[in-house]
Amino acid sequence: MSDNRTETTERTDRERSADSSASATETDPLLRIEDVWKSYGDEEVLRGIDLEVDRGDVEVLVGPSGSGKSTMLRCINRLTEVDSGHIYLDDLDVTAADTNPDAVRQQIGMVFQDINLFAHLTARKNVTLGLRKVRGFSKEQARQRADSELERVGLADQADSYPAQLSGGQKQRVGIARALAMDPEVMLFDEPTSALDPELSNEVLEVMQGLVAEGMTMVVVTHEMRFARGGASRITFLAEGEIVERGPPEQLFENPTHERTAQFFESIRHD
Amino acid sequence: MSVTDALGIDASWLRESTDDLGQGLAVIAGVAFWGWLLTRWLYDWTLGRWGIGPGAGENFLSSAPFERIADALEGSVAALGPIRIPVGWLGSLADGAALAIDIAPALATGAWYTIVLTAVSIAIGFCIAVPVAVLRVYGGPFRWLALSYTELIRGTPLLAQLFVLYYGLPLAVWLNDVDVVGRGFVPEYAFWIAIIGFTINGSAYQAEYIRGALESVDEGQLTAARAVGLSKIEGIRHVVLPQTLRYAIPAWTNELVYLIKYSSLAGFITVPELYYRASRIASSTFEYTPIFTLLALVYLGLVLSATNLMTHVERRVAVPGIGQVEGRQQGTGD
Amino acid sequence: MDSVVPVTELLTAILAEQLLFVGEETVGHYFGEDWEFVYRNREYLLWGTVITIVLTLTSILVGFLAGFPAGAIEAYGSGYSQAFVRKFGVLLRGTPILVIMIFTYFVLPIEIVLGAAEFALRSIEFLLGPTPFTVPTDVPEAFLAATIALGLRSAAYQSQIFRGALGSIDEGQMEAARSIGMSRLETIRHVMVPQALRRSVPGFQNEFTIVLKDTSIAFAIGLGELLKRSHDLFTQQTTAVLEVILFISLLYFVLTFGTNRTLDYVSNRFAIPGESS
Repeated sequence: MSDNRTETTERTDRERSADSSASATETDPLLRIEDVWKSYGDEEVLRGIDLEVDRGDVEVLVGPSGSGKSTMLRCINRLTEVDSGHIYLDDLDVTAADTNPDAVRQQIGMVFQDINLFAHLTARKNVTLGLRKVRGFSKEQARQRADSELERVGLADQADSYPAQLSGGQKQRVGIARALAMDPEVMLFDEPTSALDPELSNEVLEVMQGLVAEGMTMVVVTHEMRFARGGASRITFLAEGEIVERGPPEQLFENPTHERTAQFFESIRHD
Repeated sequence: MSVTDALGIDASWLRESTDDLGQGLAVIAGVAFWGWLLTRWLYDWTLGRWGIGPGAGENFLSSAPFERIADALEGSVAALGPIRIPVGWLGSLADGAALAIDIAPALATGAWYTIVLTAVSIAIGFCIAVPVAVLRVYGGPFRWLALSYTELIRGTPLLAQLFVLYYGLPLAVWLNDVDVVGRGFVPEYAFWIAIIGFTINGSAYQAEYIRGALESVDEGQLTAARAVGLSKIEGIRHVVLPQTLRYAIPAWTNELVYLIKYSSLAGFITVPELYYRASRIASSTFEYTPIFTLLALVYLGLVLSATNLMTHVERRVAVPGIGQVEGRQQGTGD
Repeated sequence: MDSVVPVTELLTAILAEQLLFVGEETVGHYFGEDWEFVYRNREYLLWGTVITIVLTLTSILVGFLAGFPAGAIEAYGSGYSQAFVRKFGVLLRGTPILVIMIFTYFVLPIEIVLGAAEFALRSIEFLLGPTPFTVPTDVPEAFLAATIALGLRSAAYQSQIFRGALGSIDEGQMEAARSIGMSRLETIRHVMVPQALRRSVPGFQNEFTIVLKDTSIAFAIGLGELLKRSHDLFTQQTTAVLEVILFISLLYFVLTFGTNRTLDYVSNRFAIPGESS
């Protein structure tokens, strides 16, 4: 069943990238988050989050540390389980008890702050592992797919390098290729550049901009305001587990309606 | 799902309380164990010798009632039908209790030998290990001396080393010439040979991980010590070693545990420690299962006490943020 | 075991014929009577060495087969399975190997052991298909008891090595693998275990030499390994005690040294490029 789904989405991917700008005005929610609550012990990390992300949109989550951004991302692919509320991917209730999290995760790619490449595998094998074990690709199919994904992130020449032989930026690009190879409908980025030196961040941000141009649906937690300004369809400002303000980048950067939002962007600007 | 959810809180509470219960039982077991050992030793050295009470090495309690219970239970087993099996177990338990009372004095005396062997060997071994390790790291042209000592000792079995000392060298003759050996409180020569063997063996292992700890202390530390005007020896003594020895405590704990367990090999050269006494009794009574179970329990008690003690020591002397070295991984890991 | 015996027999014969061509008188002439005694009994001692090596290998194997899953349970298991493995481990690690061995020799009924071995073999065959092995029934009881004792004790330590190695691998890799849809078991199998095995080599090296040296404790149950045979010899000719023991100590030393170098090589061979091992 999950294979069927991916096939169809692959087709819609193509169609979508053709006319993504045209359909952007209508609402076509791919990801729907409804009243999600999560707490660790006594600490409430998410307090009733509601959010809809349209197909082809790039949602940037910003907010002070501890505001629940990363937890929100991890709930979407069930690395963290919600306490209550629902998350839908298309018509699939991700959070339902009888939904197999492994099947959900195939459709949702994730890129981590600390990259987490498989240390014992080459760049290429990092990408092929999921294709072989989860998607059941043949060795040759997987290899071809991996090489084309590595090409997509500009690392065709590093396919045989091990993680320890790569720079931080290169590693993170392999991490992106690994997630892309599974043909996800949505890509989640959890502070993908915050573990990297500034000069290495750029190559990762460029790859992400490329995905934006391709029309990939993305949810991005980041402190990179250049990316937020240039790439985001909408920015959501979270504080203390609640959405304070949400809107297009210009609005939040230039005319925030809430005092907290203004303060936050002010403090970022001084960094 | 909802059921496990509902039970989730209860189950975790249950686990916590059983943990508490387990801890409480462990403390009681520990107190009983050491209470028994200390009472026995003190009695045997003092009142027992003076002829008060049942006498040194004799039972405090009589095992007869337990034997009678066991006999009664086992005699009735055939008639009982369905509850035959648990009653049979009770019977063997009572049997075991009777046996435990019988051999307890022997085990307590054996444990004393085991503890003394271990403690003395590890202490002297440590005094040898420190200079050997320092020689190995800072010895320049004499490094190979320390290297061959540790590698040769670590490369051969402890039992073979004990045999060399016991059968191969004329140590027994020399020791027998010493008047005090084997008189009064001073044990027989085999005991001294075992001490020598364990000391040498332990010193090589201790030297090896003190070396590891020495090497893990930043080289800049010694340079800094020299810079403030200390000599090399002084720098090693006052700056490097104090850090090193803290690093080495976990490994040292493992060594202690190792020696407690391997002191059982002294039984092969007739030192009357725990294993020797137990196996003597076993081979005359053929009650292998209960005797060796009891023996294992006593060793377990000693080993777990040692680990707990060392964990305590480690916490007391810890410098915040300083790591540790692996030993020969003979700790209990708990 | 059946096939091991003739092969080793052949090897010993070849070694004795080809390498040790020096006459006994020559040895006696140059090194004295006691060394001649050692030399005369070289084959007897060489056989002891073979038994020592085979015992080490079988024990390490048993230790690995039991210790590796135990380590995984300690690292990833929960509840009763974990508690059981922990308690059993503490029991085995807190008891002298001598006592464990006496236990397996005098207390453990041989039928239970063979039954368990049969069961283990059947389950392996169930998982991996038919294997060419059968449960050996003609192995001396002492050898079996020593293998089980050393094997179980080693399993208790190997489980700690693997547990530590598994724990040392960054949890993030587990999450990354889960995030592309791999199951927990697949992740452990394809991501965690391959790395953990590499990281356990130093601990394994240590464990291997400990087992090798502790085979000498099978002396206690009369197994004719190296130390037992040397004991037989020097009680026969008491003047040669030192010579015999020094000789077998040399053999032990060569074996431990060789083991360490071999595992160093294995470690380098399988090191992950770019990572310092």
